[in-house]
Amino acid sequence: MFERDSRRTSSPRRSGLLAAALLAALAGTAAAPALAQETIKIGAPLALTGGLADEGHKQDLVWKMWVEKVNAAGGLKVGDKTMKVELIEYDYQSEGQRASQLAEKLINDDKVQFLFAPFGSGHTKIVGGVGERYQVPTIACVASSESVFDQSLKHLFGTLSPNGGMTTAMVKMFKEKFPDTKTIAVLGRDDVFPKSMAEGIAKAAEAQGLTVAYKELYPVGTMDHAAALSSIKAAKPDWIYITGYTQDLILARKQMQDLGVTAPIVTMVTGPSYKEYTEGLGKLANGITSSSWWHHATNYTGQGVWPATADFYKDFQAKTNGADPDYVHGSCAAAGEVIADALARTGSLDKAKLRDAIAATDIQTFYGPIKFGPTGMNLPRELPIIQVQDETIKVLAPADIKNADLIAMPK
Amino acid sequence: MAIYSQILANGLMLGALYACLAVGFSLVWGVLNVINMLHGSFIILGGYLTYFAWHSWGIHPVVMLPVVGAFMFALGYALQKTVINRVVSAPVLTTLTLTFGLDMILYNVMTYWFTATPRRVQLDLGSVSLGPVTLPVDRLVGTGLALVLTLMLYLVMRGSNIGRAIVAVRMDRSAAELMGIRTERIYAITFGIGALMAGVAGVVFASVFPITTNVTGTYLGKAFVVCVVGGLGSVPGALVGGLVLGLVESLAGHWFGPQQAITAGFVLMLVILLTRPTGLVGVRGYE
Repeated sequence: MFERDSRRTSSPRRSGLLAAALLAALAGTAAAPALAQETIKIGAPLALTGGLADEGHKQDLVWKMWVEKVNAAGGLKVGDKTMKVELIEYDYQSEGQRASQLAEKLINDDKVQFLFAPFGSGHTKIVGGVGERYQVPTIACVASSESVFDQSLKHLFGTLSPNGGMTTAMVKMFKEKFPDTKTIAVLGRDDVFPKSMAEGIAKAAEAQGLTVAYKELYPVGTMDHAAALSSIKAAKPDWIYITGYTQDLILARKQMQDLGVTAPIVTMVTGPSYKEYTEGLGKLANGITSSSWWHHATNYTGQGVWPATADFYKDFQAKTNGADPDYVHGSCAAAGEVIADALARTGSLDKAKLRDAIAATDIQTFYGPIKFGPTGMNLPRELPIIQVQDETIKVLAPADIKNADLIAMPK
Repeated sequence: MAIYSQILANGLMLGALYACLAVGFSLVWGVLNVINMLHGSFIILGGYLTYFAWHSWGIHPVVMLPVVGAFMFALGYALQKTVINRVVSAPVLTTLTLTFGLDMILYNVMTYWFTATPRRVQLDLGSVSLGPVTLPVDRLVGTGLALVLTLMLYLVMRGSNIGRAIVAVRMDRSAAELMGIRTERIYAITFGIGALMAGVAGVVFASVFPITTNVTGTYLGKAFVVCVVGGLGSVPGALVGGLVLGLVESLAGHWFGPQQAITAGFVLMLVILLTRPTGLVGVRGYE
């Protein structure tokens, strides 16, 4: 009884504190909209730990470079105002479910105006779904599977071109250079992107008259490719095409060497696009062909904080002590320009207007042209075909950036 | 026919590598009744130590075998002595949760320090040909090591005081204590040997597989299946389980496609659990 009474009684000191807290809270709420209007908030659930940490750090690096550069120049134009950009990142530890929870937190608690989707088609699909539910424009820079963009998600936009652009041109070019190429063996990882590439190349090869001598998928978590490679060896194909992530492809190449499996053309997607692949394999990487969405040898010019590819390359090298950027870096850095362009055109922070403005994007950047098709993917363009020669990446196509010719796999 | 000789050889060599990664896990599970969730990360830690010694100072992995073994033994011994012994008598779920937590720490520390980039000791020892069969030398070394590890463990368990004490503690902890065996020390030694075996497997794996923290869960899963198939409580259990799993995956990969290889391994595990819960050569009471 005494206890209950004492709780009801409030001392003058406590009332003072309460009043101060209320005032502070009121002041906070009053200041919040004003503050929110001063910065543009972009939220990014990122894989900073866990299996996709390497890829997550690549995104983190270039997004921070972009924000730094934008803010150093005063900010982004929104109508007649210039607003600073704030990037809010959370580590989703490479776990899809957590990415979804953090995307919700970014939208509901941090009140972000835009989302950057994380690495890979699978996790992009998850975060894209959250963005759609809350009608927050979401820019994906490392998702290229059409199956992510054909879900009628009106707020999801991707800066990579569809996978299809990586297969048809490659078959055509290899057939021209090596006319004896009649058969192909395809081994793909049973995962969103690698599977769609494996299916895409088989379809493109058949459409151009090649025989698919072997076509199988291997499951996630495969520790050994010996059985598949022994079957491929028995099929004696002219072209071996394997898809997967870097660790799968390093293992596959090593086992090909061990088991004496070879062909005039060996393609691994997207192995050589990453320096981790060539460093992990050393000499064994020589001769491997691949395709990529972007290469720093290109010479695109356009709008944004990096007017030309060379400008981005120079900044990137300075930031990383001389490392070369790959397509993840290029595509993700360009994702910021999509937002900048939409803000400049709408002059507003209204999400619906911004969504429509992004859908109508048609810009030139250091990364190349960005114009979204009906599903929200960047329109197809001629993508670089690359080959490892003397442990360095050479570009075989398109003609304007080509710096080497296709060579047969070393014996 | 030639293809079948190759598929069988592939299966046996893969099986030996599976045995190599599971032998320490089997020992810890069988003796301590601890499902050591750290095992996959221990293998990768052994692999990283080997990789960085080779990459930074050019030290050959063979030289690293005893170094990594000693380091991992000390690490395992210290972990058991200071942390796991506190709950070792608790139900298996408690120790499983503890080692799961420790694994998350080790896994994330390794990912933070080394990044998840796949790395490889580029020894590329080549292959030898026996008629139509091609045998990669590094996998042959792995096969040899699996046999040596199993044999050494067998000799230690049968022929040394420590081994007999380990067996005694597993059979009846209270009786062993009454006989003057310091059980906590025996637990620490057993966990140390388990970590040593994981580390040594990591040394071999560093030149066979890409070393990355991405695969710790895969290794742990394989060790689990090998133990269920081979059975606990007998030293050759991991060897038999590994070889059978390797052969089944290899043949299934050829017959039904690589997509079904892992499924076949799990089907085998389920069949063994239903028909022979002790595993192929396990001892009753250890399952």
